[in-house]
Amino acid sequence: MEGLQLQGLGLLSKLPIDRCPQFLHNVIDGICGQAYPRFQDYGGVWNLKEWLQVLQDTEAFIRAVVGKDEPQEQLDNQLNELTAEYQGVILKCMKGRKPEIKDALLQKVCAMSSAYLQDFDWQLKLAMSSDKLSTLQLPLVNLDLDIVKNGTMTPISIEMNKEELQSLINSLEAANKVVSQLK
Amino acid sequence: MEEVDRILIHSLRTCGTEIPEEVQSVRQFTTEIIVEAVVRCLRVINPSVASNLSHVLPPGMSARFRIGTSLAQACQDLGYNGEVGYQTFLYSSEPDIRALLIFLAEKLPRHSQEDAHQPAGKSAVLQREIASKIKQQLSVPWIPPMCRTAAAERSQSMCLSHRFQGQLLSLAGDHSAKSIPPERREYWEKYLPLVNMQLPHSYTLVASLLERNVLDISAVQEWEAEWKSQGLASRLSAEEYRSRKRQRLQKRIQDQLRQCNQQLLENNTLSAATQDFVDMLKSFTVEGETDQNKGSRFTHAKKFTHQQDPQVLNEQMQRAAESLSRKDAQNADTEEQELTSLQQQIELIEQEIQGLTESVKVLHLTLSQVEEETSKMQQGCKEKEDVVRVKKRAVELLPDAENNLTKLQAMIDSSTQRLVNLAGQWESHRVRLVEEYRELRRVHQEKEDESSRWMKDVKDLYDKIRASADEAKRKEELYKQLVSEYESLPKEVSRAAYTQRILEIVSNIKKQKEDITKILSDTKELQKEINSLTGKVDRTFVVTDELVFKDAKKDETVRKAYKYLAALHENCAQLIQTIQDTGTILREIRDLEEQIETETAKKTLSNLQKILEDYKAIKQENTLLLGRVREA
Repeated sequence: MEGLQLQGLGLLSKLPIDRCPQFLHNVIDGICGQAYPRFQDYGGVWNLKEWLQVLQDTEAFIRAVVGKDEPQEQLDNQLNELTAEYQGVILKCMKGRKPEIKDALLQKVCAMSSAYLQDFDWQLKLAMSSDKLSTLQLPLVNLDLDIVKNGTMTPISIEMNKEELQSLINSLEAANKVVSQLK
Repeated sequence: MEEVDRILIHSLRTCGTEIPEEVQSVRQFTTEIIVEAVVRCLRVINPSVASNLSHVLPPGMSARFRIGTSLAQACQDLGYNGEVGYQTFLYSSEPDIRALLIFLAEKLPRHSQEDAHQPAGKSAVLQREIASKIKQQLSVPWIPPMCRTAAAERSQSMCLSHRFQGQLLSLAGDHSAKSIPPERREYWEKYLPLVNMQLPHSYTLVASLLERNVLDISAVQEWEAEWKSQGLASRLSAEEYRSRKRQRLQKRIQDQLRQCNQQLLENNTLSAATQDFVDMLKSFTVEGETDQNKGSRFTHAKKFTHQQDPQVLNEQMQRAAESLSRKDAQNADTEEQELTSLQQQIELIEQEIQGLTESVKVLHLTLSQVEEETSKMQQGCKEKEDVVRVKKRAVELLPDAENNLTKLQAMIDSSTQRLVNLAGQWESHRVRLVEEYRELRRVHQEKEDESSRWMKDVKDLYDKIRASADEAKRKEELYKQLVSEYESLPKEVSRAAYTQRILEIVSNIKKQKEDITKILSDTKELQKEINSLTGKVDRTFVVTDELVFKDAKKDETVRKAYKYLAALHENCAQLIQTIQDTGTILREIRDLEEQIETETAKKTLSNLQKILEDYKAIKQENTLLLGRVREA
């Protein structure tokens, strides 16, 4: 594993040194939930197989370094295939982005239960009339919950009137109380 | 009349009539304005009646005539009991129009005017705004996407139907802060993309920014709330409190995980709930490793809960590397075989380990038991040795018992003496120490009190700060609302001025009434005087008549005098009659003059001319129509 990883990181030396920071920052962006670097930008440097390899290994390396907080000699051990110049660049990037990577990894750890809320959205609607009443003027809340379960996202959409919303808020507040007592 | 006209014009303007600025009184109203004003009022009062009436005067004479009649009919339907007809509108006279317009203005629904003046609440303002916005958007037709202007783009494009979904943004922090490492600063300066370049879709930008903002704000708020409720009470500095809390939480989590792991080891079977947990534990390790050594899930678990020494890690890495390289070299069959054999091996080893740990546990238990026994035995041995030593000494001293006894006595005496001495010394020391202790305790207590007082002050201050902030915010909002209300108020109309004027008018009327009563009483007095004077004249005449008549039979001159008297009386009566007649004629003249004035006010002449012209126009139209009929 280690040999392969080194090989993977060693591939980085194919990239000119002045493009290296941009690539690394893009990989880190990917870890932090934004866009990964695109193959079409680096197609001239690596072939597809190498690309996948270098991407995977760089990401794994960054995750491992920040997530485990490894000591300096361990890092040097893993980086010894690269020249000192590349090593310096990599370490600089990592140092600069450490808080963000840490936050992203922590976020992942926090979302550890089998199903968790990834995002939510709400809309307030005013129903002007219904099939029975010509003027209704009933405010309705449309709540969308994005629940991630076993890695797949299932959207749940609920429409509530005022009382239902109040009861939902009450139960959520009770749940929050329980959680804050755990602290 | 001017006041009345101004109020009337204002209320006509509020119901939608366009009256030019220079028109200041009803006298200046043209036929067009009159028709428009009446139609607008009717529309406000009763939309169904006036819906088929146009507020623009048509050019054709006969159409004008029809509109005048229908307007008059509508006014009569509303309950106007004055004289009204088409001529009221087409050939207007000022008082008629004024009376009609006043009637209509009174009929206008009150609440619509009051609404505009009442201080509107926040929700009312919001609702009104929503209503107007919807109305405006409904009135705009659909425009194809390529032809949209910016405003239409906002209201009709699909961007509103996008979900409000934020994404994490990477933002630069405070550059001037000292604690930021230079690498981070360099990243911010050179590589950090602009906020709108960080997102895959531009429409998520607003959502992301808002979410980020809310995130920051709520983090600060939560921390403040916690700090005020618990942090201050713990009397630690902020950093200490944070680190303390972190430690507590870490310990708690560790306990939980250890407990769970223990259960896992004991049960050795995976229920659905524990499977979840194990999956989670697996995912913590580096992703690349997980799929290769599935069998050793306990090693993962252990790795997470206990600090692992680097050697074991290295071994694992090597093993993983080997298996990987082999995987590349050999085909799938042998790999499978190897995998199963390895798994078997692992299971065997695990069983062995388990057996060994069991035996280690048992051995530990026996070891501790044996240790306890030995310590007990050593204790007993020591006690026995002491007893033996005392007995030995006693046996040694036994031969010279008397002497030794006195010696012992002396020794005991001296030691008691010493003991007393020491006790005295101790006592003096103790007193000092106790005093010191008390003093220190008192000081501590004082400090405690002081600090709790400070604490209370700080809390009060916090509360005060928040209260004043809230207050400020509320006042700000109130101010804004009032400003908006003030701006929405019509500037030129003020209720107070109206009421003041009404009061002035009322007082004027009162004064006039007093004047009238005074004049009336004067007139009455005058009448009375006149009556009494006439009575006196009559009586005097009768008396004089009798006296003179008596003497008239005897004397010729007296008879002449009598004649003169009668003539005088008659002339005087005639004179009075004439004066009275003049009075009535004067009154009549005045009445007539008034009538002439009202008639001239009715613009009869010009109206007549207009009527004549209109008559001619109608004639012309009729001939035109006739001609057309003939042609057809």
